[in-house]
Amino acid sequence: MIVGGCDIGSATGKAVVMKDGQIISYSIVASTTKPELTSRMAMDEAIAKAGLRSIEDLAYIVGTGYGRLKVPFANENISEITCHGRGAQWMVPSVRTVVDIGGQDCKVMSLNDKGKVLEFVMNDRCAAGTGRFFEAMARVLGLTLGELSELALKGKNPALITSQCSVFAESEVVTLVNEGKELADIVAGLHNSIAGRLNSMVRKVGLVKDVALTGGCAKNAGLAKALSAQLKVDVIKLPHDPQITGAIGAALIAAEKAAERGRAQEAATSTLRGKEA
Amino acid sequence: MDTKEMTKEEVLERSLARYKKERDWFKFLLDTLHMIPEPTEEDKLQMKLLDILLNSKELVIDAAVNGKPFIAGYFCNAPEIFNAMKLPWYMLMETPFLAASAPYLAEDIKGTEEIGLGSDLCTAIRLPIYYIETGQMPIPTAVLGLLYPCDGAPMLHQVMTHNKAWLDVPVYCADPPYTSDQRAINYFADELRRMVEFLEKHTGHTLDMKRLVEVCEESNRTYALWQEYNELRRAVPCPHGWGIGGAQAFAVSQCFVAGDPRCTDWFRQLVKCAEINVAAKKGPPGVKERIRYLWFDIMPYGWVFELMPWLETEWGAVLVMDMFGNFPYTLIDTSSEKTIFEGLAKRNLIDAPMIRQARGTAENFSADIRRMVKDYKIDCVIWPGHMGHKDGSAAAGIMRETCRELGVPFLHIGLDLFDRSYTTPDEVKDRISKFFTAMGLG
Amino acid sequence: METGLKSKALEQFQEVTATLINPSVRQWKDQGGKVIGYFCTHVPDEIFTAAGMLPFRMRATGSDGTELSDAFYSSINCSFPRHCFNMALRGEFDLLDGLIVPNSCDHIRRIYDNWKSQLQTGFVEVFSLPKKTGEPQVGWYRDELLLLRGKLEKHFGVKITDEKLRSAIKLHNENRRLLRRLYEFRKADHPPITGAQVLAVVVAGTAMPRDQYNALLKELLKDLEGAEGIKDYRARIMVVGGILDDPEYIEIIEGQGGLVVTDFLCFGTRLFWVDVPEKGDPIEAIARYQVQLRPTCPRTYGDQPRRIKFIKDMIRDFKVDGVIGERLLFCDPWVVEHYMNDLDLKEAGVPFLKLDREYILSGKGQIRTRVQAFLEMMGR
Repeated sequence: MIVGGCDIGSATGKAVVMKDGQIISYSIVASTTKPELTSRMAMDEAIAKAGLRSIEDLAYIVGTGYGRLKVPFANENISEITCHGRGAQWMVPSVRTVVDIGGQDCKVMSLNDKGKVLEFVMNDRCAAGTGRFFEAMARVLGLTLGELSELALKGKNPALITSQCSVFAESEVVTLVNEGKELADIVAGLHNSIAGRLNSMVRKVGLVKDVALTGGCAKNAGLAKALSAQLKVDVIKLPHDPQITGAIGAALIAAEKAAERGRAQEAATSTLRGKEA
Repeated sequence: MDTKEMTKEEVLERSLARYKKERDWFKFLLDTLHMIPEPTEEDKLQMKLLDILLNSKELVIDAAVNGKPFIAGYFCNAPEIFNAMKLPWYMLMETPFLAASAPYLAEDIKGTEEIGLGSDLCTAIRLPIYYIETGQMPIPTAVLGLLYPCDGAPMLHQVMTHNKAWLDVPVYCADPPYTSDQRAINYFADELRRMVEFLEKHTGHTLDMKRLVEVCEESNRTYALWQEYNELRRAVPCPHGWGIGGAQAFAVSQCFVAGDPRCTDWFRQLVKCAEINVAAKKGPPGVKERIRYLWFDIMPYGWVFELMPWLETEWGAVLVMDMFGNFPYTLIDTSSEKTIFEGLAKRNLIDAPMIRQARGTAENFSADIRRMVKDYKIDCVIWPGHMGHKDGSAAAGIMRETCRELGVPFLHIGLDLFDRSYTTPDEVKDRISKFFTAMGLG
Repeated sequence: METGLKSKALEQFQEVTATLINPSVRQWKDQGGKVIGYFCTHVPDEIFTAAGMLPFRMRATGSDGTELSDAFYSSINCSFPRHCFNMALRGEFDLLDGLIVPNSCDHIRRIYDNWKSQLQTGFVEVFSLPKKTGEPQVGWYRDELLLLRGKLEKHFGVKITDEKLRSAIKLHNENRRLLRRLYEFRKADHPPITGAQVLAVVVAGTAMPRDQYNALLKELLKDLEGAEGIKDYRARIMVVGGILDDPEYIEIIEGQGGLVVTDFLCFGTRLFWVDVPEKGDPIEAIARYQVQLRPTCPRTYGDQPRRIKFIKDMIRDFKVDGVIGERLLFCDPWVVEHYMNDLDLKEAGVPFLKLDREYILSGKGQIRTRVQAFLEMMGR
């Protein structure tokens, strides 16, 4: 049975196609302003990569992410919180804490051993700790996101960035640049500041190993290092692109729903047959 | 840190560990002061204050360790009474008010966020909640709680009584009327009488009225001296800056030894210091006074060293008066039990700094600014806008209007007196600088 | 969430709730009546009814900004009084003949000071509420109420006799009984009315003459008899919190499948779960009711054990699956109360979700996500 999961975020749209519990393809596309369009683009790409003919080949599709209500071909939508929990735990069964950093929000979830979410905290009111923050800082420093991440690893004396607000943190950064501080130290300081914020969120739900970082910003090695240092626990590496975690979770739930529906149809059919007989 | 349930023994151990750590911090400060080769008279006053503070803390530790009665109380529920009853006491909110400069504070503030109390709840409230919930607050024989001036105060005590380790600790909270007329004073005086009954019942200590008269009369002497001291601060240049003044005076007189001869001695010394400076037309050491400002709150104890000295050196801005230096405490008429309790009611409901502005309607935000601007020849008024003073910030328009009428510039900052990360000291300095420049000050 | 409920009474309630100053208030004024605005359920509106006036619970329905009140309030203040005061500065409350501002909380109480300095309403008074539930506090409240009566009589030239007070108490109690009957319908496995609809009903009662309201309530109760129950919900939810007067907020929760079957709110059960005693001195009765008998809110110290018991009893009686604790940003009493609710409900094994919000509905997507995740976590 082939199913699909579609995670429409503010920055990117992701789609995952799974067959019999294995990922057979996935896609990551830049989000447009219309979630309907983004979801089609993501899904079409994933379907093509899977060598399938059309979306009809998918038995069930679950939509998630902030644009989940506008995925026209989704059979249902599930919150990205639930999907990230399932996705992370499927990738690494020992995961019990998930830190997801998206384009415009960040969240932390604690899971049980079945990937079910026990508690969660979200920050979706400000840019601190989100992809937007990193983009803004990269812009201020004239770096690409990749360069930002690499530089973070090189900072030997990370600068102390104390502002809670990303707008004010930008001013702090400019001041530090003007004072002639080492760029690597500034960047490392920024990562520490974000990691500190995430640490706070982790402690709200309770830190339980293993900890996984998901979302687009998870690919930032500097962030993973800073977070591990703050948590005093190493963030584990995921075997798949962390950015598709939500879509994987959505696909897993799609598989369950498809199976459920299948069983229900069978039961109804056999009842009918029974009646006929 | 885990907020799991703890036995009383576990709480005793953990809370004493933290309490001693705090005592050690003050001991460290005192030792540092002792290392000054030629301490000024003002330095000696700081040392004396720390001596008194440490003594109070040792009494509490002794009581806790040896099972003697001690209580948690406040500067605004008539410390004259618990001093008269010879009850060792401490404040649940002690850490942010006294030890905010301690190095462990930032960690503890993070702790408050981790239990779900964010930066829209006053740090002076969430810190004690955090300590209570993590077993780091010493459990006293009885608690005199606080239901005013702000919303946070009753909530702190509600969490305290909710905590399983504190379930059988007797608590009494005097109910604050919202008004300030004779009816309110009578009501609150009765609440204080009930407080005395409560203390006698649960601590075994009794209130000897003769002793209370002594304490009140001594406190009257103290406040008369404080009045003298404040008159000296009207001088130009102001004899003292942020370094010594209202904050210390308040701590000595209301937080530790209300109505105690040590207190009056301390004030005598304070007045002498100020007299010397006034005679010599001197201000704080090395400061040329250019701006006289009113800091309309307590000082930002969490990061005071990063702001106040800079104001003096960079701008010649001298803190001539602050909220806690402005205390027009009623002198208590000790002729009868009735007049004593009325006097105590007035002091603690109407006169006490911060209480007088925040408890009831907003008149005093305006009236106190008017009086202080006039008395102390204030050049500008700063409303720090502490994140816990919600009612005060809702009176910002009223304060601004008052200053407009007085022709005095007004600055509303918006910060956390205890947590430097809320609005960083650098941001605050930046805003103040822009304000001074724009207003042509200094 | 579909309901088969057709009710003209309900439609009227919804209209009244969706409007700030509804036609019945204007009509009252046109007929020469007086309207008294007040904040908080702890102000005894019986006294205004007894004075022959229309009590109007303050709201800021439809507010779209705080550009005028920003000069008085600050960014660390609650959005509810900020919007109310803004409406006032825009003239929306010019029709009020009086305003009573109790010391409910740090934010609301400053409306008194700011209103007095900026507006011309003829009769603006504070009302000093105690913070404890002891006998001396009943005495204080009683005296405060006597003083208020005196002030009303003097300013408006009316006589508020004990007889009138007794009638008013009876009328308001009838109101309470009818609302409790309404809530009985919600205990069913398939309630015939949604939480959003009920909120509209409760809010409407604070903005119209009580006798008219009672008549309409009776009609609604008739309409509910035999009305079809709601079947397509995922979980039975209880909402706990403070000032919430916007049914759309509840609609968002119910849109995810969380049917709100009961509550512990200012525009909710705290208003009407208990009656004012109808025997004895009416002022004393109201005082005792307000201080000791009625369900309190976190501003009342020492009463949290009774509040959580009330919530747990509700959970049992209304077969609640999960509790949503809402609070307005910058509200100290509710953030700490929910901190304790969280611990207590966890101990009782009841799923609990905390939601922060602003007074004027915003961030619908964010609310939806959290509520949806909550329902998913409950396994529903």
